[in-house]
Amino acid sequence: MLILNIKLFCSYMPQFNIWILFSFHLADIISTVEFNYSGDLLATGDKGGRVVIFQREQEGNNRSHSRGEYNVYSTFQSHEPEFDYLKSLEIEEKINKIRWLPQQNAAHFLLSTNDKTIKLWKISERDKRAEGYNLKDENGRLRDPFRITSLRVPVLKPMDLMVEASPRRIFANAHTYHINSISVNSDHETYLSADDLRINLWHLEITDRSFNIVDIKPANMEELTEVITAAECHPNQCNVFVYSSSKGTIRLCDMRASALCDRHSKFFEEPEDPSSRSFFSEIISSISDVKFSHSGRYMMTRDYLSVKVWDLNMESRPVETYQVHEYLRSKLCSLYENDCIFDKFECCWNGSDNAIMTGSYNNFFRMFDRNTRRDITLEASRESSKPRAILKPRKVCTGGKRKKDEISVDSLDFNKKILHTAWHPKENIIAVAATNNLYIFQDKIN
Amino acid sequence: MLSRGVKRKLEDDEEIMAAETSGAFDSSSSLPYPQQRQLVLNMCLSKLQSCHMKVEPSLHRSVLLANTLRQIQEEMRQEGGESTLAAIYDGSSCTYNGGNPPATPAHNPELHSLLLESPVYPNNSSVTDNTMSSSVSAILREAGFVEDVNPAPACLGCSDSEELCFSSSPSYENDGDEQPVDSRSSDSLFGSFEISNSTSYLTDLALDDIFEDIDTSMYDSSDFSTVMSFPVPRSPVSSSEDTMKSFPTCISPSSNGIQICITDLNDLDHIMEILVGS
Repeated sequence: MLILNIKLFCSYMPQFNIWILFSFHLADIISTVEFNYSGDLLATGDKGGRVVIFQREQEGNNRSHSRGEYNVYSTFQSHEPEFDYLKSLEIEEKINKIRWLPQQNAAHFLLSTNDKTIKLWKISERDKRAEGYNLKDENGRLRDPFRITSLRVPVLKPMDLMVEASPRRIFANAHTYHINSISVNSDHETYLSADDLRINLWHLEITDRSFNIVDIKPANMEELTEVITAAECHPNQCNVFVYSSSKGTIRLCDMRASALCDRHSKFFEEPEDPSSRSFFSEIISSISDVKFSHSGRYMMTRDYLSVKVWDLNMESRPVETYQVHEYLRSKLCSLYENDCIFDKFECCWNGSDNAIMTGSYNNFFRMFDRNTRRDITLEASRESSKPRAILKPRKVCTGGKRKKDEISVDSLDFNKKILHTAWHPKENIIAVAATNNLYIFQDKIN
Repeated sequence: MLSRGVKRKLEDDEEIMAAETSGAFDSSSSLPYPQQRQLVLNMCLSKLQSCHMKVEPSLHRSVLLANTLRQIQEEMRQEGGESTLAAIYDGSSCTYNGGNPPATPAHNPELHSLLLESPVYPNNSSVTDNTMSSSVSAILREAGFVEDVNPAPACLGCSDSEELCFSSSPSYENDGDEQPVDSRSSDSLFGSFEISNSTSYLTDLALDDIFEDIDTSMYDSSDFSTVMSFPVPRSPVSSSEDTMKSFPTCISPSSNGIQICITDLNDLDHIMEILVGS
């Protein structure tokens, strides 16, 4: 049940204007959020295998406050739960990732994937209907041909807009392990899919085979110490892609070098700080997301406590490091015990690559301005967002005297985690998924 | 107090102890380092052992847990010092160097005494003994490392019994080298490779059409050792649904040691529930 919710005004951000908040309550936990190339469509996938697409209201609407509002455009069931009989295990229908294809005609295409199967969906509009058939009557029943005395030409009449989603390709049976990433290549013909140990390259038209381009499975599985955690194609160079690992390393590969890209072209790793070594050092260094900047010059990685920006030309260390919630470093054992240390946070760039955003706990999310080095913490929740209320920047108290409005580390709710966020490719509009709720923050045009 | 994650935890003395002390671990590091390490070790093991779920366990998580476990064990090993190096090596290193279940503490009196000497929680000393002595690799296998199935030699060794591969087999030689396979299991290992090669040859031919309704493309050719353990249905006309459903009942302990090692009786019950329920 989707409930279009209240519109609110939010606080002033140093580098952004006033924000308007829209929130939607979805039926299930949101597992992925993605804007399309123009930003007019926003797709969400959930744990129940459903995809809900929101569309931005077109300009030209007289009511200024509804201009640019996002409303539900289409809902469909992308994946169903399956059962693997050979292994006696269920295959979850949860949508792990959605990636849009660049628009080439009136229809929209997106790829959605669960743990094992990738599907290409076509979303098309129908707003006209043919009427006046000769062989069928208005209800679609066949007419008796002998009763037809005259011929007429069917005419197209407008009808209520209907948005249809149909699966055009199903890319199945190529992954033994759980798919964690898909990424459309800049050639718009191929895409890659990555699971824990392998990366496959697909052609969008061909479903019965794919090329394996990375395989890190050891001959003896008991020697396995590292898995692939994320992969992405370069935004401009169709031969380049990167993949990150559970050991905090990123490998950049060039597909021109060889068919099997087991040997990387570049290897990005920051040397470990020996003073901060703990039992959990490896776990918190595991990279949960990797994203190229729109320019293609930089890439950003998210590990448990920080976000790092890397220059592709420098492999030895990142050029920028942003601490997301350093106050959790002293709580790692508890977070390990309740499994929160395995949470996989995503990160995203804004359209001009000068700001980055990522999520945290207690429904907090953080934005960093790369130029001014300023950062802000906001909370995505309906309780603190009354109509016309100002959404204050939040602050976590790390020790000592707790100021008013600060929240102490021990009061944070670790069940309320923001793992998925997305930034509009051109404007200051962000989508934040907090469990079942989708929040859209929008720049109010003055 | 930090709120817990969504997952339910096993009600265990160990868990409660861990829960009470993890707070102490975090807040002031008041625990001495060896106790901290022991706490993390215990949590690691309990997480690995509880990896049995209806849904396939996450390989990423299992790998991270196993690495943490190895790191701690390596540290404990080094702390043992030069004198007991050989003993510890036999006892623990072999567990994650090719799947040899190590000798029990009884075979390594020095290791046993070392464990008792190190400051551990009274409740957990028995756990430590068991975990150090029993095959860590068996735990890793159970956590799903061999989903893709290159048959592990140790598991093939216990295909004769339906038990999980926890207890170490005294027939394995610990010569201190990293000798992963003994002769008996290496035969089985290579034997299964032969089968897998011939199977992949078959599927490469146009005989594909005959077996069209069987979905074998999910598995690599190296994985066919698992598939080949099941009787291939003769009649291609039978619906794939029925064919697939008959597989679980065809699991015979002798022919498919890997599946039995990984699938315990609870899972078989679960399968039956699903079949009966559907």
